[in-house]
Amino acid sequence: MSEPGLEIEWAKTVQDTMDRVLRRVAGEYHEDEYGFDEEFAEAVFPLWEFLYRRWWRVEVEGVSNVPGHGRALLAANHSGAIFPFDAVMMGTAIQKEHPLPRWTRALVLNWAFDLPFVSYFMRRIGGVAANPANLTRLLGQDEPVMVFPEGAKGFGKPFSERYRVQRFGRGGFVEVALETGSPIVPVAVVGAEEIYPKLGESEILARLSGAPYVPITPLFPMLGPLGLLPLPSRWRIEFLEPIDLSGYGPGASEDRSLVFDLSEQIREMVQEALYRGLVKRGSAFL
Amino acid sequence: MAETGRVVVVGVSTHWGSELARTLGRNPDVTEVIGIDTSPPPVDLGATEFVEADIRNPVISRILPALEPDVVVHCGIVLYPDKDRPSRALHDINVIGTLQLLAACEKVTGLKALVVRGSAAIYGSAPGAPAFFTEDMARRLPLVTRFQRDVGELEGYFDNFARRHPEITCCMLRFGTEVGPGLDNPFIRYLSLPVVPTQLGFDPRLQLLHSVDATGALAAATINPVRGPVNVAPDGAISLSRLLRLSGRIAVGLPPGVAGIAFRRIGSMLGSGGMSEDGQILLRYGRGCDNRRLREEIGYELAFDSEGAARDFAAKRHGVSAIFPSPHPGSPVRSLGR
Repeated sequence: MSEPGLEIEWAKTVQDTMDRVLRRVAGEYHEDEYGFDEEFAEAVFPLWEFLYRRWWRVEVEGVSNVPGHGRALLAANHSGAIFPFDAVMMGTAIQKEHPLPRWTRALVLNWAFDLPFVSYFMRRIGGVAANPANLTRLLGQDEPVMVFPEGAKGFGKPFSERYRVQRFGRGGFVEVALETGSPIVPVAVVGAEEIYPKLGESEILARLSGAPYVPITPLFPMLGPLGLLPLPSRWRIEFLEPIDLSGYGPGASEDRSLVFDLSEQIREMVQEALYRGLVKRGSAFL
Repeated sequence: MAETGRVVVVGVSTHWGSELARTLGRNPDVTEVIGIDTSPPPVDLGATEFVEADIRNPVISRILPALEPDVVVHCGIVLYPDKDRPSRALHDINVIGTLQLLAACEKVTGLKALVVRGSAAIYGSAPGAPAFFTEDMARRLPLVTRFQRDVGELEGYFDNFARRHPEITCCMLRFGTEVGPGLDNPFIRYLSLPVVPTQLGFDPRLQLLHSVDATGALAAATINPVRGPVNVAPDGAISLSRLLRLSGRIAVGLPPGVAGIAFRRIGSMLGSGGMSEDGQILLRYGRGCDNRRLREEIGYELAFDSEGAARDFAAKRHGVSAIFPSPHPGSPVRSLGR
């Protein structure tokens, strides 16, 4: 006993899907100049939504601190060890909670682009190789960009070091923000440290696979691909008040001490927000 | 804009040399076009005067000053091997030839500009490279292939020359991958393979320069040269997978290990000679170049962006695919006009 309207609806869905698949097979879709493929990003979005809502039960604070239009630099703490889910969840939070949702680019560690499949997956969902030239260009095009100033030091740190924000490199992101007059939004992500608790590294596997390091977690690589399943920790993402740098003038990016001061100030803001967030989150998994 | 006067096109028998000579022949600012090459051009160049000479031979330093050029355009750099330019001779032609030509230019009195048709290979390609190289990013990545080192070396000679002669406007044009109807190069032959091998798990971002723009930009730079390097690149980029889908080709991903050997063999089959290594790196990581200098300083308006060039290439190939229909599932979809 089915309603006739429902059947038509169903047939329409099938036809739309077929049309879309055929169109994509024929190459009729859009890619931007960095290789970001909006249709592809939309297609994988339900998976991120599931992780966001059910798996990690992400709580978000201050998402409206991210400017709704124009350039913005989001500087966050980094963790994950295997896959940068923190970047993905920040992007999902902006898409789902922000009054003016938009896609956010992320600067991705260079070696990700040397890994088969990972390289083009990252690119299609909005990842761009981390270098000042790309950051400058993206901000110049008024895009919101996520950066992880800790880089690999934060991403690959052992579980015992969790929630301790590492050194912020050379402060290159502050330089670019000063040059391009972009506001910096510090972001604190709580929860990503527990998804793959990194207990150690396997040097043999790293050498065999050519990856810079292969982490050992309670499940990986013991359980093989199943070990890539992230643990269902509870997440909390806090977007802090944006720091306006437009008052510093054009030559400010060459002032090393200013760059280091700002970079250290942002690092401390993120660190404090992490401690606050940890208290507010309470239990890591329940 | 000053009058251009007498233009000497070195390497006039190459595709771009001939095209440039023809384009300049129609320009009223150009009083005379003289072409130099080792063999006469395969096509009729109208009013262009042809002089047979080899730039690898020191005699060039007696011939060139006698022609009293206002502008010298060097189209003789081989960006990929050709029928009468085998890969063995690549280094000789590119490096030694350029060196001899620069030496000859020293002896020319009243030379106003020197334009060189170089290559974007000097930027290299790497996983963490900038999405769009600007002109000041040359040699940031190590030059790994023989061809890249050759380009690096000849750009070094060129920079030296430009420094010694501030009165001459020295312009180095860096060209990328070209496609277009009537053009034949190893990359186009690669795209025309019945089954196109790719590197499994990699989908490079490529920029495709349409041959119309390649000639147009070269002519624009000859008429209005600027100092230093200029990227000749289209807007945007297109991924290899999308390019293959648009042109209805079937891609087969080769796993690492096999890919290296296969690409070397395919490279020599397609006539890329010693440059299959360059192709392999490019088809793994891709490359993009920023074209702001070309558009704003030389003032050339590009006719095609990367996607446009890919579509034009696919459309012009349609005649061939009507006789030999591609088994790619995208082809019937397109011919049905969805």
